[in-house]
Amino acid sequence: MPDERVDIAVVGGGITGLAAALHLTEAHARIAVFDAGLNAGSNANAGSLHVQLQSRFLRLYPDEAPNVEASLPLYLAATRTWIELDRWLGGVELAQKGGLMLAESDAQMAFLEKKAERESRKGLDVDILNRAELEEIAPWLGDHVVGAELCRDEGKLNPLLANEAARKLLKSSGVAIVPSQVHALEPVPDGIRVSTDAGDCIAEHAILATSWGTRALAAGLGVRIPVSWEPLHMNITEPGDYIMEHLVQHAEQPITLKQFQSGQIVIGGGWAAKFDPAVGTPEVLKASLLGNVALAAHLAPGIAHLRLMRTWAGLNTTADGKSIIGPLPGTPRVIAAVPGDAGYTLGPIVGQAAANLALGNEQQFDLMPYTPARFS
Amino acid sequence: MTDTVKFHFDGEELSLPAGLSLAAALTTAGIRGFREGPNGATRGMFCGMGVCQECLVEVDGNPNQRACMTKVASGLSVRTQSARPALVASPQISSNPLVEKPDILVVGGGAGGLSAAAEAARHGAQVLLLDERATSGGQFYKQPAAGFALLDKQQSDGAALLDDALQSGARLLDETEIWGAFAGPEIHATRRGQAVIVRPRVLIVATGAYEQPRLVPGWELPGVMTTGAAQTLWRSYRTLPGGRVAVFGNGPLNLQVADELRSGGAEVLLVAEAAPAPWTRPGAAVAMSAASPGLARDGLSTLMRLRRGGVPVHFKTVLSRVETADGGLRATTDGAGGEVVVDAVCMNYGFQPQNEILRLLGADFIYEERRGQLICQRSDECETTVGGVFAVGDCCGMGGAPAARVEGQIAGCAAAAKVLGQQAMYNRGANLRLRQHRAFQSALWRVFEADSQDYADIAQETLVCRCESVTKGDIDGPSQEPGVEIGGVKRATRVGMGRCQGRYCSHVLAKHMALAQGRSVDERAYFAPRVPIKPVPIASVLAAQEALEADDA
Repeated sequence: MPDERVDIAVVGGGITGLAAALHLTEAHARIAVFDAGLNAGSNANAGSLHVQLQSRFLRLYPDEAPNVEASLPLYLAATRTWIELDRWLGGVELAQKGGLMLAESDAQMAFLEKKAERESRKGLDVDILNRAELEEIAPWLGDHVVGAELCRDEGKLNPLLANEAARKLLKSSGVAIVPSQVHALEPVPDGIRVSTDAGDCIAEHAILATSWGTRALAAGLGVRIPVSWEPLHMNITEPGDYIMEHLVQHAEQPITLKQFQSGQIVIGGGWAAKFDPAVGTPEVLKASLLGNVALAAHLAPGIAHLRLMRTWAGLNTTADGKSIIGPLPGTPRVIAAVPGDAGYTLGPIVGQAAANLALGNEQQFDLMPYTPARFS
Repeated sequence: MTDTVKFHFDGEELSLPAGLSLAAALTTAGIRGFREGPNGATRGMFCGMGVCQECLVEVDGNPNQRACMTKVASGLSVRTQSARPALVASPQISSNPLVEKPDILVVGGGAGGLSAAAEAARHGAQVLLLDERATSGGQFYKQPAAGFALLDKQQSDGAALLDDALQSGARLLDETEIWGAFAGPEIHATRRGQAVIVRPRVLIVATGAYEQPRLVPGWELPGVMTTGAAQTLWRSYRTLPGGRVAVFGNGPLNLQVADELRSGGAEVLLVAEAAPAPWTRPGAAVAMSAASPGLARDGLSTLMRLRRGGVPVHFKTVLSRVETADGGLRATTDGAGGEVVVDAVCMNYGFQPQNEILRLLGADFIYEERRGQLICQRSDECETTVGGVFAVGDCCGMGGAPAARVEGQIAGCAAAAKVLGQQAMYNRGANLRLRQHRAFQSALWRVFEADSQDYADIAQETLVCRCESVTKGDIDGPSQEPGVEIGGVKRATRVGMGRCQGRYCSHVLAKHMALAQGRSVDERAYFAPRVPIKPVPIASVLAAQEALEADDA
């Protein structure tokens, strides 16, 4: 157990909590970081830097589309935060070459054209490419791809490097991550009591960077935060020649396709996995493996001779299409920091905002739309 | 084997005997580095049995072909594989995937699998057997490749067993590589570019074991291989791993292979056995003779032949380092053996069960500390804790080929009874024979008992994960983080993330971390089981998906 009294307790050691902790440490706050070591979404993340509206969300959660659309400026700002973090961490293979959303029919092209118009109004750098233009930048695509939307703000990075570099940097600043589960938060006269496996600590403020786990911890304080886990499937191939610069998605099908600097190709994009909290680790589903990999081979026939090397599953967190950032109603010392949806993209900016709140610093953007009070 | 084949390696024409694997052919030509590995290093064949993925070459423009599992053919253009091979348009995917629904599927064509298949088929069940090799028989009976004669009794026994299985009515699909196991059970495999999906009523897993190295600096160098890999070169392809050889390890296989290579014409410069000499353990030696006088006598005569052949055999001696030296590899021991310069360094420091299918299907295991391996929990009839899934032989924990044969008979009979709705009626002598084989095996282990490699003694620069080039020094910090689990060390260092799927580092790390954290080892201490069991071409996954869509419709 660290000091029994700290300025700020950060609950959760994923990318959001790590980013918050780095900012707090830089401001010389005395902090404690707790991480249960299990199922953090960041540990399973595939490294997409999302900006454009993901067709997956529009299709699966149409009610949330207006919220996602309203958040587009936050996504833009989040990529800038990542570029700073990449520098701060000494390079985590961040590349911002843009993202392609592919169309295989005129109807899909029409959908992308409309989407691009909406996104352009929100300040995104987007373009519609026909097949010939696409050929110039992604000659490896299958013949049936008729065009794509290019969003130049999108990119990719290596999440394993980023997580590890952030932990190392924190450690070198003297902050050890306490490997324990936080069970409850409780207001006490001069702070917040954080109860953990490793004992309790009292903090001036607590930051809840606990993704879907925020629901239970907030409920303990009588606050409703309707976040839930979404188990997702991912695949990675052995290395091949580096040909894919872009993050690749599809106008109608769930897929993300990208190549790491190692030459390995990561295939993901929202195929379901299985999660039973009693088992503790999300498990891979056969149908997702077959479907997801088959779709990748269909879109990029050139990768078909590469061998699939590993699959894994992780937990994404969904809310209402918007991040949840701010003091909990009734317990303002506890600050929610739940990026939601594209959690890894949004994690650093959300973590930084939560750190600024705890430190009483000025914010870089208006937090009102993201207040946890919206669920009360 | 008078035929020769001509093929090209990196543009140079080679003319070699027909029937060889690519690995054997290249070894014959004195070529040991097959692919460009991490950081520009060269890698070559290590396991010789399709597990380690180190012998990848590019064949006719297709990268990622295992030289040890690929047959040489006239006109092939073989190239050293680059670290990041070009993404070429894929070869035509077979539009005709194979979907099979036998009563019983047996996975693995070794001692256990062949006898299980034969027994089940004789009882009237419809049996399909899948084997990854072109010639079945498994690692113990290791059969000669087509065109080579049987070498000795061990091979002719294996040939008889294989023949018996083929006569029984069981169908055998060779060269079938399994990559997926899912609930059902449903097994996914690929065979010469074709997707194979099997949905049996009952599954018998007989996937055997693979060899365990000693982690020493230089174990990743081309020319360093498992003792079994050297044995396959010789017994299946009449190829010597090199003119000058040294053999290191623990257990009788090393002595046997050293003697075989010597008789084949290799200059065996050193044999180093980790255990003390058998005669210093008279109690165990007597027990071993009592359990099987013939096998014990064979062992002793092997040792005598080595001595007579002038091969230095050192006991209580282990390999401590391998380096490249002028014209070969310098292997250094920790003691009496000193150092030798050879062309091939062979080592076998025990085995690990190939239990990937069983772990994926959720079978229960316990950890056996003395041998450092997971033991699959089974009923007397060899049924695992997953209903309808049987397991026999070394994949359940090492028991040796004779025991695997008897287990195969018991499981084959029980599985047939299950699918035919009958009472299992196996030969009552089977249980007795199984007890005798196990008594022999246990005495054999007492004779060869030696301390396993202590993690603390591994040099910092040693690769623990050869696929990703992760050294012990890289792992030290992350594995000592408070409360860290094996998956956390994997993510922090990339240990176990490579093509071999953690087969050589998982058990080492599981044990080390449990000891360091004061826990006992269990199944969850290992990397989580995940498909694919072995890397699988994306084209095959695509074909499987299309086949299942059609089959389920």
